Amino acid sequence: MTCKFRADLLLFFCGVLALALASFARPGHAQEAGTLQQLLQQDAALISKASRRTIGPVIDRIVASDLPAVPMFLSAWQDKTIWQRRADGLFFVGADMGDRTYRLTDIDSGAVIATVPKDDLKQLKPNSGVRGLIATALVRFQLSDPDPSLREEALTAIERRPEAGLLAPLRASIDTEPDAELKARKMRIERLLTIGHGRDPAERVAAIKDMSGDLGVDLRAALNPLVATRLQISTDLPEGVNLARVLSPGGPDLGRLEAYDMLAEAELAPARQTPDQIKTVLSNHVEGGTVGGVALVRLSTPDARAIAYDTLAQEGKVAPLVRDEEIDAALAAHVFFETYAEPNPEVTAAALAALQGIATRVGLNQTLDLGLDAISLASIYFLAAIGLAITFGLMGVINMAHGEFIMMGAYTGYLVQQVIPNHTVSILLAIPLAFAVTFAAGVAMERLVIRHLYNRPLETLLATFGISIALQQLAKNIFGTQARPLTAPGWLDGALVLNDVVAISYIRIAIFVLALIFLGFFLFLMKRTRLGLETRTVTQNPRMAAAMGINPGRVNMLTFGLGSGIAGIAGVAIGLYAKVTSELGADYIVQSFMTVVVGGVGNIWGALLGATMIGTLQKGIEWLNPSNTLAAQTYMIIFIIIFIQFRPRGIIALKGRAAGD
Amino acid sequence: MSQMNTLLEVSGVSVSFDGFKAINNLSFQIGPAELRAVIGPNGAGKTTFMDIVTGKTRPDAGRVLFGEKSISLLTLSEAQIAQAGVGRKFQKPTVFEDQTIRENLMMALKAPRRWWSVLTFRAADTHLARVSELAEEVGLSDQLDRIAGELSHGQKQWLEIGMLLAQEPRLLLVDEPAAGMTPEERAHTTDLLVEAARTRAVVVVEHDMEFVRRLNCKVTVLHEGAVLAEGGLDHVTADPHVIDVYLGR
Amino acid sequence: MRRSFVAQNPSVLVFLLGLAAFTLGVSLLAEGFGIGLISTSFIKTLGKTLCLCLVAIAMDLIWGYCGILSLGHFAFFGLGGYMIGMWLMYARTEIIVEASLAQGVIPPTPQEVIDGIGSQIFGVVGASDFPVIWMFADSLTLQLALVPLVPAILALVFGWLAFRSRVTGVYLSILTQAMTLALALYLFQNDSGLRGNNGLSGLQNLPGVTAPQSAISLWFFWASALALGLGYLLSAWVVSGKFGSVIRGIRDNEARVRFLGYPVESFKLMLFTLTAMIAAIAGALYYPQAGIINPAEIAPIASIYLAVWVAIGGRGRLYGAVLGAGFVSLVSTWFTGGQAPDINLGFYTLQWVDWWQVILGLSFVLVTLFAPKGIGGLFDLLNRGDKA
Repeated sequence: MTCKFRADLLLFFCGVLALALASFARPGHAQEAGTLQQLLQQDAALISKASRRTIGPVIDRIVASDLPAVPMFLSAWQDKTIWQRRADGLFFVGADMGDRTYRLTDIDSGAVIATVPKDDLKQLKPNSGVRGLIATALVRFQLSDPDPSLREEALTAIERRPEAGLLAPLRASIDTEPDAELKARKMRIERLLTIGHGRDPAERVAAIKDMSGDLGVDLRAALNPLVATRLQISTDLPEGVNLARVLSPGGPDLGRLEAYDMLAEAELAPARQTPDQIKTVLSNHVEGGTVGGVALVRLSTPDARAIAYDTLAQEGKVAPLVRDEEIDAALAAHVFFETYAEPNPEVTAAALAALQGIATRVGLNQTLDLGLDAISLASIYFLAAIGLAITFGLMGVINMAHGEFIMMGAYTGYLVQQVIPNHTVSILLAIPLAFAVTFAAGVAMERLVIRHLYNRPLETLLATFGISIALQQLAKNIFGTQARPLTAPGWLDGALVLNDVVAISYIRIAIFVLALIFLGFFLFLMKRTRLGLETRTVTQNPRMAAAMGINPGRVNMLTFGLGSGIAGIAGVAIGLYAKVTSELGADYIVQSFMTVVVGGVGNIWGALLGATMIGTLQKGIEWLNPSNTLAAQTYMIIFIIIFIQFRPRGIIALKGRAAGD
Repeated sequence: MSQMNTLLEVSGVSVSFDGFKAINNLSFQIGPAELRAVIGPNGAGKTTFMDIVTGKTRPDAGRVLFGEKSISLLTLSEAQIAQAGVGRKFQKPTVFEDQTIRENLMMALKAPRRWWSVLTFRAADTHLARVSELAEEVGLSDQLDRIAGELSHGQKQWLEIGMLLAQEPRLLLVDEPAAGMTPEERAHTTDLLVEAARTRAVVVVEHDMEFVRRLNCKVTVLHEGAVLAEGGLDHVTADPHVIDVYLGR
Repeated sequence: MRRSFVAQNPSVLVFLLGLAAFTLGVSLLAEGFGIGLISTSFIKTLGKTLCLCLVAIAMDLIWGYCGILSLGHFAFFGLGGYMIGMWLMYARTEIIVEASLAQGVIPPTPQEVIDGIGSQIFGVVGASDFPVIWMFADSLTLQLALVPLVPAILALVFGWLAFRSRVTGVYLSILTQAMTLALALYLFQNDSGLRGNNGLSGLQNLPGVTAPQSAISLWFFWASALALGLGYLLSAWVVSGKFGSVIRGIRDNEARVRFLGYPVESFKLMLFTLTAMIAAIAGALYYPQAGIINPAEIAPIASIYLAVWVAIGGRGRLYGAVLGAGFVSLVSTWFTGGQAPDINLGFYTLQWVDWWQVILGLSFVLVTLFAPKGIGGLFDLLNRGDKA
């Protein structure tokens, strides 16, 4: 502790010494100026017509003067409230008193001097580039400002524009920082600045090693410029450069012709003629139906063109063709190598090692993130499929309009939000309402259509598909084709951030929780309630159930309504996450059926496993080929088709005679 | 037991569904021209036994050998087993109800079964004659162009038996042929089966003791997936184990 | 043999005569040939409808006769279209590129021509090199051979996998739908080699043919009618004999057919592949008349519409499929094309473009519930009336 403190102190003194040296290096200016006004007058012309290119040294001198008025002046300058009196060229802080008059205040003492008409004054209007430089200069003063928000602003400014000069004042401000959070941030930024702008390599390497356990994007942003490379060409490998690697032309990293073109561009070799250029040259030298003695009609092969071109070259009309041997000779005569932007090899080595370590940990964290993504996708598929697990899995009724029930649930949520603006209340209300709406739709559909088609599964498929077409178009007619918003409550905004790599949005967590609730609800319903018992009875043996006084029609109706109602709730959840359009359901229907089929029909755990497998698989394939979600879905479906070869009845298969045929 | 006198040999066969042993170390033989009745209470494994022989269910253990060359039926598909000469009649009459009796019989008629042969098949006079002959045998000769769905229950059973005969199987497995038949129809069915068993092996699974008695053949009693008793009907009905099982003492 | 076949199936003769009369009548009334009562665009619509009738026959074979509700036959249809579209697009672009390169002083090299075609065709997806699948695109013969071949291979592989594991009923339907979806999603990618969602376009122009569209449209109309006639004849032959008995048996009781000793899987596979080829040929004739093909055509919904047509027409009978496809697709074109007059209900103007789908969907439900035999069922009623 003491040791570290002493080191900091030492650094502080070094910084002060550096500043002192810097000011010493420019005698005749600051030392003679007793007041800021005097100092400013020495550079009056540069200040009044400030440009980004020339103002830097001036600001440096102002800052180096260490006069008490400097921070006030800089911020006033930045705010465009510095005025120059035309009569004597002195600078003042001006305050608008109305009536085209301004009250002038002395820069050094802060005393009111006079109130003068605007015509006698000239306002300093630094452009944005200059204001940026002023802001950077101001940072050192703001770092110790009593106002914490200003200190925070200053730190943000450093992060945005890390400059060597800020290192010393930043270090100086750490010890006196009262706010623990800001102090930690200052220390972190100090380390990052040291990596880029530390005094000597040892200090920088130490800073890199200090930070190498970190996953922050800012750290990688600080390290990456150090290991940035530049491709260079020379006849011999130069000494004393921080060499990254030597490239061999024609190798995997540098094409042969590409390398030669670089030589040509650097004017180290004559330019190569591309086939297009040869063609242009030839067409510019047509003489009476021939070029270089070759008839035009024969010029449809590269060889004939080369002959014609050679003739032209021999006649001295064009530059000679660069031949393969010449290309090889030129390439052999030069070295292609990459150098690091950072001259010090120790620093680059440390940075590379740190980046590699970071890459490994980032990879691990990305795997974790991918896993979380997969779980959340699986939850969505599970939600979409759980209703199907009831209607298709238990009852064996294939309902192609299931997706449209999901859509109806989402639109119900949207409508509720139109009436009730409070998002929390509206979502809480939308869930039972969506259930009610789709439950009713499901019951109606079961009574009107499906009841007549039991034991005719293919026809059920077609009839429910007809309903699906009709419902989709109906939604289009009512709500239009554009997506409708279904907004999550504010407390679901944002994400649970574990580090710069792993973050899960709260909506996804909520969907995951909802999926778990549904699973529990389903299990409770099937194992612990009368309806569940009756449903299982009816699905296993409807005649026996009827003989025992259970009304199969009623049970089927309720079960189907239940499955549909759950689809409605899933619709609200999916609507929060995806766009609410008339095609919302259609987007999920195939995956939902896949989930149920892959998992094993008639088993809720199967649906869960199926959803997990499909979600993981899709995310996994997307990770292998991140640019292409379409391909991921394609490969996933192919995988499922093949999977079904080996487990035709799904992951969890019913065996024996109960499975039927 | 010599190989020559055994058409089908089932030995040591076991199969279980989700822990329930449907067939438990079952052994069974039948000769090339023999009528056999298999009886047993519900769940004794009669249907599963047929499923195994016809390839619908794969046993967990044991072997099923068929014919002089003792080919193992366990490696064959249902279609291959049928082609090898095993015909099966289901409990419920299963004929193709949308098609005529002629079409039903023609489909069953012994002929190459590959798709190419079927596609290019043209009914020759011998085929037509055989179909008429079979129709006569099962008493449907005047109804050849009727749609099978229009037939009575008993007529469907006979049509199915006719289709089985058309296949010319060496082993016939018949599941409860007399269920739901009038006494006259039963008599006719008995005659058909007895006649068929002159030239081939016929296994009849039946509940109805009266029907079994009329078949007048060796009886195998199954219980809990294994053979409980075997012999003449009078012999097995006298067996105290059988009485236990049937009376459920 | 043929005589007895037609004698056994008088409806085949009736159908062929009707088709011939229809073709002749339309030709005589067409703009390009006869008195010009029927516009070229309507000739194209009719030609396309004939192709849809042909793919409906394929659907009827596999679904109506064999009981396999395939939701993938429009994928085969689209693949057929893609195969012929590749040649059409290549050959036409070749002519354009050669013409434009011929403007230059120096004649082009073969490589320059190919590069030119490549950048013309694949410029929209930011590529210029030919993918491997275009290997045969310069040869009409090979590409024509690929029309039935590629879908047949896909059907064979998919069918083998699916039938072997005894996936049946709705599971098989879902699986075929998944196959269709996978294919459509694959084609939607820009790097699929088939121009992503841009699809293949300009297919209405026959390369090297200077005849006007009015004539070309008639040629395709005739070709479609011929293909439909041959397809009908072939299908009628396939379903008439013992093979027809077996596949109907598979539809009604697959296990029973298996116990009769028929290798059910190979029958299904053969029929699945055959119908895929018929669908592909229909597609190869359809898309040159449509002018453009893109992956949206292959979307699962299209295959379901195919099932809708066959169901409305009456499955299990070939003329039912033709009637259903012809009737529903023409009526759909009329309603969704904006030609049908809107109905003003006073409080609401009913626009057919918006409401046709709703009506189609619901009428489909009604047909499934109350008229499972579809339009074809009406003929049964008529026949029964005759007998009575």
